[in-house]
Amino acid sequence: MQLNPSEISDLIKKRIENFDLSAEAHTEGTVVSVTDGIVRVHGLSEAMQGEMLEFPGNTYGMALNLERDSVGAVVLGPYQHISEGDTVKCTGKILEVPVGEALLGRVVDALGNPIDGKGAIETTETSPIEKIAPGVIARQSVDEPVQIGLKSIDAMIPVGRGQRELIIGDRQTGKTAIAVDAIINQKGTGIKCIYVAIGQKRSSIANVVRKLEEHGAMAHTIIVAASASESAALQFIAPYTGCSMGEFFRDRGEDALIIYDDLTKQAWAYRQVSLLLRRPPGREAYPGDVFYLHSRLLERASRINAAEVEKLTGGKVKGKTGSLTALPIIETQGGDVSAFVPTNVISITDGQIFLESDLFNSGIRPAVNAGLSVSRVGGAAQTKIIKKLGGGTRLDLAQYRELAAFAQFASDLDESTRKQIERGQRVTELMKQNQYSPMSVAQMAVSLFAANEGYLDNVEVNKVLAFEAALQLYMKSEHSGLMDSINATGDFSNEISSGLRAAIETFIKTHSW
Amino acid sequence: MSELATLARPYAAAVFKRAKEAKATAKWSQNLAFMSAVMKDEEISVVVDNPKVNSSKLTALMLDICQEQVDEEGANFLKLLVQNKRLSLVPYIAKIFEAYKAEDEGYVEVEVTTAYAFSKEEKQNFASKLEKSLGKKVHMNVSVDKSLIGGVLVRAGDKVIDGSIRGQLQQMQKALQ
Repeated sequence: MQLNPSEISDLIKKRIENFDLSAEAHTEGTVVSVTDGIVRVHGLSEAMQGEMLEFPGNTYGMALNLERDSVGAVVLGPYQHISEGDTVKCTGKILEVPVGEALLGRVVDALGNPIDGKGAIETTETSPIEKIAPGVIARQSVDEPVQIGLKSIDAMIPVGRGQRELIIGDRQTGKTAIAVDAIINQKGTGIKCIYVAIGQKRSSIANVVRKLEEHGAMAHTIIVAASASESAALQFIAPYTGCSMGEFFRDRGEDALIIYDDLTKQAWAYRQVSLLLRRPPGREAYPGDVFYLHSRLLERASRINAAEVEKLTGGKVKGKTGSLTALPIIETQGGDVSAFVPTNVISITDGQIFLESDLFNSGIRPAVNAGLSVSRVGGAAQTKIIKKLGGGTRLDLAQYRELAAFAQFASDLDESTRKQIERGQRVTELMKQNQYSPMSVAQMAVSLFAANEGYLDNVEVNKVLAFEAALQLYMKSEHSGLMDSINATGDFSNEISSGLRAAIETFIKTHSW
Repeated sequence: MSELATLARPYAAAVFKRAKEAKATAKWSQNLAFMSAVMKDEEISVVVDNPKVNSSKLTALMLDICQEQVDEEGANFLKLLVQNKRLSLVPYIAKIFEAYKAEDEGYVEVEVTTAYAFSKEEKQNFASKLEKSLGKKVHMNVSVDKSLIGGVLVRAGDKVIDGSIRGQLQQMQKALQ
């Protein structure tokens, strides 16, 4: 773009003209001490909890401790230039971040400033980071699915729009991989995604962004990044920032999906801030309100009814419900789910996807433990065909787990037990899926149908995935009509059942794998 | 500073209660003002902070200095402060005492800074306007600061009303960034 000097001076002139020159009244205080990003301020008798405070040098902070003679605040960003005796002003506002469609495709920091080098973000609206979750009257039950695109999850642990489903597991078990696959699979569904990276390496964040770009998934995604190098205060507020950005879509009758990667690090950041503010430590040195920290965040993920959307948009959007689905991630240490933060978040969410390093290391990826993973509300939202076919999968795996211990005595077992073990082995094998290759409803239906109807029983265990791949290829080229009709309605009928049966039988007769 | 204010509050509250009982708030106000002026003196603060100076010596010294200005109750108060090793709190006690007094008598202590000196009429006019906007009587303390360029800057406790050209320029600078 060519810069035209007269344009710029016109612009500045206009802004000066529009500048409101009223005498500003505010409350002031003075900095008493600055320690590790925590500032104690004398005065500010009218500060509110969570209020934005203005420090010299265009720096902002957030009031967290309101005491009789002083206010404890965290500085959002660098604090080296703040010194004792500096003036601090109240702004009278709760911390706000920009929200809107313009953020899609961008990478922003915890305050909503772009950090991807693509220039300023043209948003007109801002929204406070802390908001009260919708009340009971405004809500509607979850009855539409969010397709994650992974067989093992969509079949056994379905996620509905407006649900909160925890992804929990040790490090290196593929938690982020599930989240990224979920984002990629939302391409073309109209679900907007927000990925909040908390306390991660910058390189990991860049990696996620690159993968999303490669798969064309950045266009419907906002990345909120508070990397490990940023201050604890920013890591602590990043999830709320992302949530506000997601609520923007929810409140306009759209659907959004938010991923908090991960809340363990946010709890650490909050613990750091709290201890520096000298709040009394409790279990595992977390402050008394870590539960509230996560519950107030996750409670904002919800499905709201059409009446509420109409009210929030001032009648502009009618007859549409809005939803914000949350996939919080928690990292456990050595598989210990009974630590403080994991138990809290498990109890807050509507189910969890439990990933195990043993499964991961034995090649079952995604490493979902089907026994410990549950979805408390997703069943009502599941696509009919997947619900019908996936039920068998869950059962097969459950029976297999009971009998798996006997698998080594295969020769001594009776016929039915042996069959169950064999089926279980094949279904376990079938649940494996490569990263970045989400499946459509029809593709999943074909695979699950083949397993349910026993077509896999005659396939060697180590050939199951090859069989599946060849079958999918065949279905795509020869029966695209059937596949499209499954994708369009998601219903399961005798017609579809017989269509699938005929197709698979022909495939087995005529193809090799 | 905030911790010192916390320490000073009970002393100030006690003094104010006593002053109110004896109907001598004005006298106490003078006493405290004098004491804090003394404490602000560098030579005195060196002596106060010196661990070699024991409390009886310090009491004698303080009473000697304040003799003329401070009444009997004031002298007792000084003795108490020396005994409790809280002599350095005097300026804070004075400040909090003034705040209690102002609240009790229903006025606010206001510091007004102007770019140009007020005429008497202007001052009265301004005071009445301030009283209206703050909803309380005001005790104005006017000073002149050329660096404001124009307008006035009002400080009432924590509250600041910035109607100066300098403040507006700062606001504009922020808006144009």
